[in-house]
Amino acid sequence: MNIENDLTSIQYTVDFVDIDDSPGPFCMSFGFELEPLIQSIQNVGMVNPPLLIQKKSGTYTIIAGYRRIRALKFLDIKKTPCRILSESRVSELECFRLNLHDNLATRVFNEVEKGMVLSRLTSLVSQDQILNRYMPLLGLPSHSEKFFFYLRLEKELEKEIKIHLAQGRMSLQVARLLLEIGRGDRNRVFELISALNLNINYQKQLIDYIIDISNIKRIPVSTFLAENFFSDILQKEGFNKPQKVKALFHSLRVLRFPTLVRAEENFSKNVTRLGLTKGVKVSAPPYFESPHFRLEILFRNGTELKEKLRILTKKEGLEVLGNPWKERV
Amino acid sequence: MSKGFIKKVTMEEGALQYDFSRKILKNLRGTPVTERQPGGEKTGPNDSTMGKDILHLLPYKGEFLKPCPGTTDYICCGYQILNLGTNCPLDCTYCILQSYINQPNLRVFVNLDVGLKQVFQQIDKQPDKIFRIGTGEFTDSLAMDPITRLSEHLLPLFSRRRNVALELKTKTTRVEGLLASKYRDRVVLSWSLNSPYIARHEEKMAENLDKRLKAARRCQSEGFILGFHFDPLIHHPGWKDEYLKTLDLMDKYIDPKGVIWISLGSIRFMPGLKPIIRKRHPNSRVLDGEFVTGLDGKMRYFKPIRIDQFGHLRENLEKWHSSLGLYLCMESDDVWESTMGWSPGETAGLSRYLDKRVVEFFG
Ligand code: SF4
Repeated sequence: MNIENDLTSIQYTVDFVDIDDSPGPFCMSFGFELEPLIQSIQNVGMVNPPLLIQKKSGTYTIIAGYRRIRALKFLDIKKTPCRILSESRVSELECFRLNLHDNLATRVFNEVEKGMVLSRLTSLVSQDQILNRYMPLLGLPSHSEKFFFYLRLEKELEKEIKIHLAQGRMSLQVARLLLEIGRGDRNRVFELISALNLNINYQKQLIDYIIDISNIKRIPVSTFLAENFFSDILQKEGFNKPQKVKALFHSLRVLRFPTLVRAEENFSKNVTRLGLTKGVKVSAPPYFESPHFRLEILFRNGTELKEKLRILTKKEGLEVLGNPWKERV
Repeated sequence: MSKGFIKKVTMEEGALQYDFSRKILKNLRGTPVTERQPGGEKTGPNDSTMGKDILHLLPYKGEFLKPCPGTTDYICCGYQILNLGTNCPLDCTYCILQSYINQPNLRVFVNLDVGLKQVFQQIDKQPDKIFRIGTGEFTDSLAMDPITRLSEHLLPLFSRRRNVALELKTKTTRVEGLLASKYRDRVVLSWSLNSPYIARHEEKMAENLDKRLKAARRCQSEGFILGFHFDPLIHHPGWKDEYLKTLDLMDKYIDPKGVIWISLGSIRFMPGLKPIIRKRHPNSRVLDGEFVTGLDGKMRYFKPIRIDQFGHLRENLEKWHSSLGLYLCMESDDVWESTMGWSPGETAGLSRYLDKRVVEFFG
């Protein structure tokens, strides 16, 4: 399709009362901030007039420029110059492509918007065309699995979750995990994420723990989420949000990694019992995977170092340091 | 599983010029065949079937023989991988191929003769080095043997060399091609074993343990040297007793004196496999354990759990026979020491130990 052959628009000033300003069939904007656009219009005016299609009834539908019109309305402007196409001259697909390329030229789509684009395309072109032509335009690999994932993202996720995703407050990986749990569970998990204001890393960790622990307990996610465990922590008196987050993740970790947590606690007890001098620290390797433990000594000069080493070598019970479990052989 | 699991054959342009392709097609008479452009069919690793009912014939452009990609953080066995194809029809829930292979279908490399020629040049150039070679890293060595008849092809070529041991590793009973061959020397037939619980729930398309071990007995009685691999060892309720049931079956069917080696490997996988297992095998229990990030970035059980697994297996296997060529797969020196009572120290040490077994069994 060569749009240019059909695109003979005329430009005139349109009163906003004549424009259907709902997002409409061609809109691909979601979760955006209007403020930067408002400022830009205040500073330099409308550089690129919106593109509208005139319907037989005489009213207008927005092809491209939904956000611009929203910004103008915010500024209490009542009319603006627009480019107008006649409904009889352009097909739905052409309108869609005009919007797509208008957007691609000026910005990067967020993940939800990519889902919207792909979802709209399903009624306009074949799946093959979407995979091979449109997904690369959106910076996505031409994989059918990716395609279906974005469709699910658009169709199944709740608006609040989509806003988090669109605004970069949630990663695609977390959205994928949320899609894997049912709608009710998803909302409950999202409530937790919002209530505790969890960052992206914690969000992923939380969902991972919840799915893993439910699997291990052989209970549905919903049953685990309904346990008092969560509400007890959320309602803990005198705890601020970061303390609640800490308490929640500690409790989840104990459930998920009982042997590891026990070993870490035993190791730390052993170290505490030694009563090491201030500035002397012994730490275990991550997960005790490497065979080597670490000793750190803070000192101001050689004399202090010598003194600390002397005390350390005389220390009774250093032999307890090591793996805090019984070796087999 | 009969040959009928292949629903379609696709061939890369030019694949038909190889004898091996023609032989395979003869064995699949009646199966639809289509030609396909190189890289023509794309899939993400999450695609649910991975095209395991389509056989794709293509020439391989890489090296056929490569050292096993061990890491310096753990002791590796110094194995060489003979790469004759990728992907596997069995679909075990924990299979790492699900995350390794971003190309679908059962792929067989049909320029085998050219590839093997290069491999043997390399082997023959180093007569003092022992090459322990396996074909079961990127597929099951025998799952497709009734179609490819690869074993018939490989056995005579390997049997006549003095510095090799070819290991064919499987979870199947597809040994007819092997038994029909007259060659036995320099060949190790190995079975991957697990607990009956894991075999039932996580290796659903593989043969059950009884059948695997009966096939092994048949091969042993026909003069083949055997190997076994308890890999991946998986923690599950009642695991200790469950693994003992497998040891009982081994005792029932196998003469331990004819076993060249038994490896023990605790489950490990790249983190990317986890969401794939969750999605493709939602009822699998393999993700239940206490996994931590290993020094090589792979997920593995927290060390004392691995030590418990290895210790239990070692103790009971050694009650069966004292010289089984037991070794740990991708483990650290300290885990070796605490479970086996000794350590090869490094990859070269384990290689020497296994090479010695080769010499003891094949001269
Ligand atoms: S037999 Fe081996 S290669 Fe085949 S699916 Fe199972 S683990 Fe993967």
